[in-house]
Amino acid sequence: MFEKTLIPVAYGERPEEVRKVGTILKSLGAGSVCLYHVNEPGSFFRGADLSWLTLLAEALEETGLAVEVKTGEGHIASAIAETALLEGVDGIYMKAKRRWHIETMLLGSVSRDLLRLADVPVFVHKVRPRLPDDGAEPDHSDLAVLYATDLDEASARPLPYVMEFRGAWCHVLHVRGRMADPLAERVRREAVDEQLNAVAEELRPYFGRVTAEQRIGNPAAQVLHVSDRIEADVVVLGRKSPAFLSAPMGDTAERIVTGSSASIFLVPQPGSRNAS
Amino acid sequence: MLREYLRREAVFLLSAGIILFFIGFGAVRPDLLDSASSAVHAAILDNFSWLYLISAFFFLAFALALGLSRYGTIKLGYDAERPQYGFFGWVAMLFAAGMGIGLLFWGVSEPLVHFLQPPPFIDAASPDAAAFAMRYAFFHWGIHPWAIYTIVSLSIAYFSFRRGMPALISSCFYPVLGERIYGAAGNVVDVLAVFATVFGTATSLGFGALQIHSGLTHLYGLSSAISVTIGIILIATALFMASAILGVEKGVQVLSKLNIVLATVLLVLVLALGSAPYVLNVFTSTLGGYINNIIDLSFQSYPFAGFEWSRDWTVFYWAWWISWSPFVGLFIARISRGRTIREFVLTVLTVPTLFTFVWFAIFGGSALHLELEEGANLAAVAGEDVSLALFAFLEHYPFAGLLSLAAIFLLIVFFITSADSATVVLGSLTSGGGLVVPNYKKVVWGLSLSAVAIVLLVTGGLSSLQVMAITAAFPFMLVMIGLCYTLAIGLSQEKVPE
Repeated sequence: MFEKTLIPVAYGERPEEVRKVGTILKSLGAGSVCLYHVNEPGSFFRGADLSWLTLLAEALEETGLAVEVKTGEGHIASAIAETALLEGVDGIYMKAKRRWHIETMLLGSVSRDLLRLADVPVFVHKVRPRLPDDGAEPDHSDLAVLYATDLDEASARPLPYVMEFRGAWCHVLHVRGRMADPLAERVRREAVDEQLNAVAEELRPYFGRVTAEQRIGNPAAQVLHVSDRIEADVVVLGRKSPAFLSAPMGDTAERIVTGSSASIFLVPQPGSRNAS
Repeated sequence: MLREYLRREAVFLLSAGIILFFIGFGAVRPDLLDSASSAVHAAILDNFSWLYLISAFFFLAFALALGLSRYGTIKLGYDAERPQYGFFGWVAMLFAAGMGIGLLFWGVSEPLVHFLQPPPFIDAASPDAAAFAMRYAFFHWGIHPWAIYTIVSLSIAYFSFRRGMPALISSCFYPVLGERIYGAAGNVVDVLAVFATVFGTATSLGFGALQIHSGLTHLYGLSSAISVTIGIILIATALFMASAILGVEKGVQVLSKLNIVLATVLLVLVLALGSAPYVLNVFTSTLGGYINNIIDLSFQSYPFAGFEWSRDWTVFYWAWWISWSPFVGLFIARISRGRTIREFVLTVLTVPTLFTFVWFAIFGGSALHLELEEGANLAAVAGEDVSLALFAFLEHYPFAGLLSLAAIFLLIVFFITSADSATVVLGSLTSGGGLVVPNYKKVVWGLSLSAVAIVLLVTGGLSSLQVMAITAAFPFMLVMIGLCYTLAIGLSQEKVPE
């Protein structure tokens, strides 16, 4: 899933943190890493000494990964998304920075922009899963994965990635609107249960326990609620073209990234970047 | 057992309890009721009069958007269902729904009062004031009221005929509330609908009683004491209660049809005996002005000059229509089963509206003709007592006594048929949407309607009626905004070709 991974880094990253990232990526099957730094136009550090990047690369190499270093310029998220495509990476890994919600709402964040722009899967590492301080590989046997699916064709795309996570528990969640009458609601509920069970069956060989649930309500709010309830380590979801009205609040994926303590693994829909 | 009864009859017990408390409070402390309702009314108007304007326009835009969109082809019923009534029968019933006490009460008096008391930026009793008066009469009685009714009736018709749910306002909230429509949340929605219907109808009955009284005083020199108005309400109550309880629906239907014929005859007579070309010019130019200015009229609250005027008239009307909407909405829904949304929206928005325009052009236009061209002193009479304007106006026609008597008869029958229908609708709303309503509920609602009208008339007369219509409509306006949302959800789940 992460055979070749792009890791965007900024000045000030600590080598020991990057080493931990290397460990987790290795545990997820990564073989090589592209360490990528974007110089913002007009930045104070533009053209400055980039030896810190070499230090980070060395720290990563210690974990057994092949590392190449690249730099770029321009709007950070756009440059990352573009380089990911050009380099043919399998995914982008980024550690979320703590920001105030209002700050994110007003100014946006690189991770939010990247979720919108990237054409390859993005892993946004948040509070969970916690990385072991001793540099050991994270324990897959404790991993709780929340797979949020729309149950349509596009939403099946993240399924192979969910399987790759393996772990202790996979909870499959489908959030939908309520049907307009009780009969239609019952029919829909039964149909969704059937589809969820089919998905759960596919995932069963890869997880110790697989459960499924359907909920009614706002997708972002429900995913966040369930993620907190089951203390998920990773939330896996597909990205769809956002609706026009979602623009002020951000689309579902962006809102989940902003509000979640669990890491987010977002699989974009092919061609959805242009639509968004 | 008791628990089950309380659960089943929660809407009836709760709404009847609130209304009875209101009546008791009004009977014991009318002064306190007046000050309390005035305070609530002032708070609503001071803070939310803009919301009434925006909501009414939104309802119109929403209804038109549905009618003209791809959802317009969806049937209010199952796909293979045919309309229960033929097109002309249906249109005639819509016609009838647009008729009532209000048209008789305001047909002459509203244009005259606007003419005499326009907002401060227009010279009173000027030709400009006349054009303004007619345009606003068209506006207040035009497409907006029918858009308001359309939202409620479309929601009820869609959720009950196509989705198989009970004909209740709460049923329309299933996409949002789910099973909670059968619990407290759904009960609150239905109680608000009952509350709005009681006060909306009581306002009309109050207007009707006042005008019948004025007519009788004008013709026969009856005392103008409030006790006579109360007596008129009591007699009319006995009549409509007897009709509702004894189940003489057929008789009421015959009476109702007779009334429509009589009203149309009155309309034609006034046109024929007055200045028809003048009236037709008023109709044409006012229609042009109305169409040309509909956006401005819809949002105009005259915040810099004339805000009071806008609150007293436009906001009052929008509130009144909203409070009538569960009643009229339910009626229109019942007769529209099998129609497509497009057919429904376009017909409901045009047919009754056009009829109302004709009514106002003939009565209002003729009154302004008498005022401006023949020196009649009608505006002053209307300014003094709006309920008297119609009879003062008919004085200027041949067979004035007969015409006035016909008008009083029309008012009495409209009073009886409206109250009778309202009693049945209220009974249905508080009986889970069923058509079979127990007699004790009919008695409770019939008496409640009349008692509320009496209490309001005793408390503060015409202004009290208006105050309560606005107050009761406010929460239901919010319910109506919710209806638009749930209807959109329901329709979005339909498989309609792009």
